[in-house]
Amino acid sequence: MRLSTTQRRSIAFIVTSILISLGLTVEAQRGFSQRRGGEDRFSGNIRLEGNQPYDGRFTFVRVSYQNFMSRRNEWSHDYPVGERHFMKILNEVSLVNPYTETSNVLALDNPELMKYPIAYMAEPGYWMMTEAELAGLTAYLKKGGFLIFDDFRSPWEWGNLELQMARIYPNARWVDLTAEHPIFHSFYDINNLDLIPQYFQNYGTPKFRGLFEDNDPSKRMIAIANFDTDISEFWEYADTGIRSVSETNEAFKLGVNYIIYALTH
Amino acid sequence: MIDAIFQFLFKYQPLVYEQGDFVWGSSRWMSASVLVATGIAAYALFTYRGVLGHGPRDRVVLIGLRLAVLAVLAVCLFRPMLILKVAVPQQNFVGVLLDDSRSMQVSDLEGLPRGSYVRDNFAAADGLLLTQLSEKFVVRTYRFSSTAQRLEPGDGLSFTGTGTRLGDALGRARDELAGLPLSGLIVVTDGADTSEAAFDVSLASLKAESIPVFPVGVGEERLVRDIQVSRVETPRTALKGTSLVVDVVVTQTGFAGEKFPLVVESEGRVVDTQDITMPPDGEAATIRVRFKVDDGGPRRFKFRIPEQPGEQVLPNNARENLIDVLDRRVKLLYLEGEPRFEAKFIKQALEQDPNVQVVLLQRTAAATPSAPPKFLRLGIDTPDELIEGFPLTEEELFTYSGLILGSVEASAFTAEQLRMIAEFVGRRGGGLLTLGGRRSFAEGGWGGTPVAEALPVTLDGSANAKAGDYFSEISVLPARAGQAHPVVQLAATDAASLEAWRKLPPVTSVNLIQSVKPGASTLLSGEDANGVDLVVLAAQRYGRGKALAFPVQDSWLWRMHASMPVTDSTHHDFWQRLLRWVVDGVPGRVEVATAPDRVEPREPVTMTALVTDKKYQDVSDARVTAIVRSPTGVVTEVPMSWTVRRDGEYQATFAPEEEGAYQVRVTATRDGESLGSSITHLRAAPSDREYFDPVLRTSLLRRLADETGGKYFQAADTSKLAEALSLSGRGVTVVEEKDLWDMPALFLLLIVFAGGEWVYRRARGLA
Repeated sequence: MRLSTTQRRSIAFIVTSILISLGLTVEAQRGFSQRRGGEDRFSGNIRLEGNQPYDGRFTFVRVSYQNFMSRRNEWSHDYPVGERHFMKILNEVSLVNPYTETSNVLALDNPELMKYPIAYMAEPGYWMMTEAELAGLTAYLKKGGFLIFDDFRSPWEWGNLELQMARIYPNARWVDLTAEHPIFHSFYDINNLDLIPQYFQNYGTPKFRGLFEDNDPSKRMIAIANFDTDISEFWEYADTGIRSVSETNEAFKLGVNYIIYALTH
Repeated sequence: MIDAIFQFLFKYQPLVYEQGDFVWGSSRWMSASVLVATGIAAYALFTYRGVLGHGPRDRVVLIGLRLAVLAVLAVCLFRPMLILKVAVPQQNFVGVLLDDSRSMQVSDLEGLPRGSYVRDNFAAADGLLLTQLSEKFVVRTYRFSSTAQRLEPGDGLSFTGTGTRLGDALGRARDELAGLPLSGLIVVTDGADTSEAAFDVSLASLKAESIPVFPVGVGEERLVRDIQVSRVETPRTALKGTSLVVDVVVTQTGFAGEKFPLVVESEGRVVDTQDITMPPDGEAATIRVRFKVDDGGPRRFKFRIPEQPGEQVLPNNARENLIDVLDRRVKLLYLEGEPRFEAKFIKQALEQDPNVQVVLLQRTAAATPSAPPKFLRLGIDTPDELIEGFPLTEEELFTYSGLILGSVEASAFTAEQLRMIAEFVGRRGGGLLTLGGRRSFAEGGWGGTPVAEALPVTLDGSANAKAGDYFSEISVLPARAGQAHPVVQLAATDAASLEAWRKLPPVTSVNLIQSVKPGASTLLSGEDANGVDLVVLAAQRYGRGKALAFPVQDSWLWRMHASMPVTDSTHHDFWQRLLRWVVDGVPGRVEVATAPDRVEPREPVTMTALVTDKKYQDVSDARVTAIVRSPTGVVTEVPMSWTVRRDGEYQATFAPEEEGAYQVRVTATRDGESLGSSITHLRAAPSDREYFDPVLRTSLLRRLADETGGKYFQAADTSKLAEALSLSGRGVTVVEEKDLWDMPALFLLLIVFAGGEWVYRRARGLA
């Protein structure tokens, strides 16, 4: 049987994912609390790894922010394992050539953020901005930056994201994306969004919403929100076997597409 | 005064001496007598040896004075004379050519126009000089400007001619007067000759036929108060929306140091204004103006300095150039070998540009043993465009006008594709831009490839550098050659542009490129963290096209960097200008041009077309037709024929009848198949060349006189003109002998020498 190029790539991708999962299984035995990169989100203490100085090479950037409800560091959810696994996959399947062993954590008012036009934010349901951060993010997005929101649920959390983004774009209108959107075809062809796994219980199928320049879907996408799901959780647990390989694959595919799309649009 | 003294001393005017041949007129007997007398004189001198009691100085002085007296007498006795050929009155013809061009309207003869001198002296029936000439010659009068015509009695001079074809006019008069006894030609002009080639040809003919020309120069060699836009160089074509940087050369007299605005207008709309300081008298100042060509079609751009009080010539304050503004979409193929931000921001910069289309072929995954490389295609026109990745045939690649190679290694291409890329520049005439990156230049193994031949920078082909060997931040500034280049102009003035470059954040490079090839230009240079000078943007012509190198991996920092305001458009402007320049002048398969682009009505113009096929190979067996549309819509089809001297070149001539803009559309077919078409525009309008440099050109007129054996006269002093013609020696003449022995100068010499001897003797007690 002859396999198409896409089929061959999918198989290669799945095999790579399995290998990474198996390779990291031993480490997984050490227990979550020790291994999850120094994240202790409930105590407010984060063991940050040093940032990678800019040299033109792609570096995953996670946005840090203040939690307006408590001292919990919601922004650090899945840090750093989630991005490590994701960057390894990205490096394996594409020519992006990202740093795989290091990543950056930057606040929105950090000038260094401007050197990384793609950034990721976890749990925007708890996100709030200082005036300096507001100015930083406004410049970042208007100059051409792209922000990925992930890991949040409930109308209340969505309301917070809308509220925060409305400080930059008062008339912002988030658009529910369909599988036809180019972002779902920039590398892998994701033809059915219903296949994207749901991480949370009782929140239905995940929703993918885009924010566009001038609220015009034909223009540049400024940000994408993975609402009612937690894609990075699948990245993080790729080596644990907690979630199925097929579900994890879909999460990685989504992430790869986001990066390729944001690098070219 | 000098002439009068000369004539008193030497009996005749200098003109007589200039035209006459000097001879000794004594008979043999007289010569023998003089020799005998000389012998007697010698004996007399011999007797001076007896003068005793005095020193040798007395002897020398006395002998000298006596010898001088004898010498003067001897000269007289040998009868010196001038032989002249004098025109026989009313037996000879004289052609008088009167300049009837616009420049004769210039008022620099004590406030009067040059033309008034011509009218008063030559054109009117009772004209002073015409009367003098008519007494001795049969006068034939011509007027000339762009053409030459006989000036019949009653005809007036209008001084509205739009050119001064002096050479043609001389030729016409010579031909008409051929076979007649011609004493010479008089040319009354300011010498503003605008057709030098014909002038030299006519001059050679006049010399060969020994026809002397007597130019009468009218006007001043330097205007007292005048401002002139001397030269403006604009491209013949420009893509709509392109920002042009144009050098305007201004000269002036009488306004040094004063400030005036230089206004650029497009079809009456002001597109740029800048204040300029007038240079010192007689010196040229070059002013760089920047403006954008926003409207498509043939556009007239006027560069003018407002007329100032007291200026002697007003029309030369402005120059008008025609630019064909092309309102079409030019396509560039951008192959990016790895997903990176440079592609996103370059694409974004050109997104709003309706005239430049960037097709991004983004390689996202490398080839594997079982799968070809994976590409993302953005900006394509059809679903099949670039479906196989980078074009495999010349026909496909050559549909693009520009090619950008991002961070992609040479081994990603076949040998044939590498050759095609070089041919894309050399033969097709496309623009190639190579960007920096870990897979670019030497780091990408490009050294020694055909593409490296085209590049303006030198790569070390034998030992390619490895990616990761080098990384540095670079502060970028315009290089010397780049300061005047439109691509690097970030602001309205040079100083503001330089300041803008200084404020830009540094970018980074992983390609250590320090030198360009001979003939290449460095437009941007930089300094890395170690103080090493680097080439940042270089360009060179390669064959019919151009190749550029920009070894920077993240110019997008000029957009994103924290120091750059959100509203700053430097990155967008830079890339728009750079890519527009990459595709500027890239030829189509059929190209047409006229030479020149502005002619006078009924003046023939040559149309030249270059015809190629899909592979941009010259085609010499095509059927090529020029369809010329006049301003009122009259269409004329002019077949064009292969010139033979160059493959693919076709020519035809056409003379526009109407005044205004003509459209010339050239179509080419071969075996019934269309090869393409091209449009250009031509302007038919009265020339304003007469108003530029409208000063009296004495040097040209003196040369005309000297080389033909005539004599140059200033308009203010033409009293000897008729006599000079009489003595030209041409036509029907009689020989006249003019004795010189009785000239007062010789008599005065005799008195001086004889008197001197007497005074000396008295003083020395020898009398």
